[in-house]
Amino acid sequence: MNKLFPVYEIGSLPKLNARVKAARGQLVTKKEINQVKSLSKRFSVESNQIVEILERQKKEKRKPTQEDVEALVDFNALLYIKLQESAGLDFVYDGEARRAEMYQQVTGKIDGFETTPEMIRSRGPDSWRMAVCINEPKLKYKSLDGLITKEFNFVNLHATKAVKVPIDDPYMIAVMSDNRHYLEALKSQYEKNPSKLRYEAKRAFTLALANNVIRPQVESVVKKGAKWIQLDIPAATLDIEHIPIMVEGVNAVVNGINNIKFSLHICYPRRISLTDKSGYELLFPAILNLNPNINHISLELANADQYENDLAVFAQYKNQRQFELGVGVVDITLEQQQRGKIETPEVVKNRILRAAETLGNSELVYVAPDCGLRQLKLDRCLRLYKIMIEGARLARS
Amino acid sequence: MFIYKKMMFGTYLTGQFGQSQDIYRVRNEAKRGRGSEALVMEQIKKDTQQIINLQKNAGLDFIIDPMFHFFYLFQPFSENVAGVEIGPQENWFNNNVFYWRPQINGPLDIQTGFTEKYLHLDELPKDGTAMVVLPSPYSLLVLSDITGYSNKKAAVTNLAEVLYAEAKYLVSKGIGRVQYDEPAIVVKQSLGSLTEEDLHLLRRGMEICGNVDGATTSLHTYFGNAGPIIPYLSSLPVDCIGIDGTETNMADIIKHDYSGKELALGLLDARNTSLENPQEIAEQLKRVAKKTSPVKLWLTPNTGTEYRGFTHGTKKLELLAKVRNILYE
Repeated sequence: MNKLFPVYEIGSLPKLNARVKAARGQLVTKKEINQVKSLSKRFSVESNQIVEILERQKKEKRKPTQEDVEALVDFNALLYIKLQESAGLDFVYDGEARRAEMYQQVTGKIDGFETTPEMIRSRGPDSWRMAVCINEPKLKYKSLDGLITKEFNFVNLHATKAVKVPIDDPYMIAVMSDNRHYLEALKSQYEKNPSKLRYEAKRAFTLALANNVIRPQVESVVKKGAKWIQLDIPAATLDIEHIPIMVEGVNAVVNGINNIKFSLHICYPRRISLTDKSGYELLFPAILNLNPNINHISLELANADQYENDLAVFAQYKNQRQFELGVGVVDITLEQQQRGKIETPEVVKNRILRAAETLGNSELVYVAPDCGLRQLKLDRCLRLYKIMIEGARLARS
Repeated sequence: MFIYKKMMFGTYLTGQFGQSQDIYRVRNEAKRGRGSEALVMEQIKKDTQQIINLQKNAGLDFIIDPMFHFFYLFQPFSENVAGVEIGPQENWFNNNVFYWRPQINGPLDIQTGFTEKYLHLDELPKDGTAMVVLPSPYSLLVLSDITGYSNKKAAVTNLAEVLYAEAKYLVSKGIGRVQYDEPAIVVKQSLGSLTEEDLHLLRRGMEICGNVDGATTSLHTYFGNAGPIIPYLSSLPVDCIGIDGTETNMADIIKHDYSGKELALGLLDARNTSLENPQEIAEQLKRVAKKTSPVKLWLTPNTGTEYRGFTHGTKKLELLAKVRNILYE
């Protein structure tokens, strides 16, 4: 892209309350309907049919028809495409409006998985429904359309700006799941070497996910015209000794798929690693082996606010491998929202320039939030977009 | 058969228990403004009583609070000790679970009772079988951001003094066993980054808090291979050392002598929903008992069962009871 410091979103936005409640058959409030009306007017998205559905749902709890649910979801997706375009983002998607949640969206469509009976606590009270791998993971029959193809086609049809498609990375799914199948399958082979057992079991699991679950999604959207695909891999540095598996998984997804821009999204690296390396340093040298098609990585940086330390390693290796970097310039954690803190355009500008200076090349810098915004209130998301756009403009000037 | 009873083989849980769907639900509702903290407290109390009863019914030798009030091990310390603030989030080792790095501006004054409101001490037995889990001073040191001390030795000394005071306080409230959680030393060992200084720092910490009058103590290691440092761990001034048997090769465990020490073996993998074969576990324990002569031999999960939730935690707990019954048949 010719523009300096292009701006994009990582992936998710919070779903509209009215849409979630109506789809669940719950009562919708007048305030929630008014929010829909106001947003549709502001971003020029037709909402008559949706308001009709919601008005019915305001009067009585009723199970919505499949058509109603689809209309609600389409409206939410279209609204978020237009909202991002109107905000001035250079690359857009639909705020993952069709996805229940990034991990569960995929694991629910995999044969060979079951789930834990309870949600597993992850971050404070936040929890996730862990999948347990009990057999070789494979996409369920005819699940590709509901998983990604329909979603991409809709965005591609309605977006007037360039599109970046977020898709789960296989290693991320492996890390967040219970790997019972492969641990049991390989147990006798590596019985006397527990760390080797875990490594090989995770490798086998990751590669099965890459080949059977993630690559078919990538191939599907490429066939439909996708130009930029982002593989989401927040947990890339979680297991320091397993980073080569992450690289191998990514390569298995993208090998041989050419003329497409691929990127990775990585966040919250192990900044206390108990080794002589920390943060994004942990990715090196393993990520030098990433397929050359991967030329872009987006990073969480604002939460830690140590741009020079975090990015130094990318400058250090620039002669061997140069990545464009999506620089996280706004902190998306719930704590910041609860504290009522938010960045200013001036802070964003400085962060962009700090990153550019550390990398020694402004053309490598893209501007992004630290991660997806789904935990935040929509008003705050819109403010963050505005602040990023303005900060990038200031940095350009 | 006699030998196992004589050496007092036993079982206990070692950390936070997996949350129930009810706790998740009330917390989620509270987070979204649709519930209340009072309902969360009520549910936690109910689940705590249930898990304590399950432990008693399973015949476990130490009974712990399932730690449902904890979001991470350091939370009571970070939220209540003057001189400590809550820092950025960080992964808890290689788990998709987070803690917030304590920002310690020392030296800290000795202050006690900071864990009390996170535990249900009134629900625990008063016969000396109640156990609490505290961080080890060394892990607390290396997983925090530290300022205000002249060096790491001064820092670990101060942290150990604070933890020791808390341990004594809890013993005065009826606790009979104090487990210090020490994942960092074996993780560093596994990653090849362990130094002599690390070993000195852990020793220094345990010299201060390892012996607590009125209670037995355990240094529980997990998430890493303890094999190469078992002799060192055995030399530390604690009553019991805990080894993660899912990370440490059994051959490395049984080649040492544990005379004079208790040995807690984490042979049940709390991070895997596979259920171990109780007969095989019992056979492994027999081999360990025969070859290594510990004062007592404990079977435990390698870590808390929080990583796989309530149902799977309960299954591991039942497994502890099954193995115990096999050995006592």
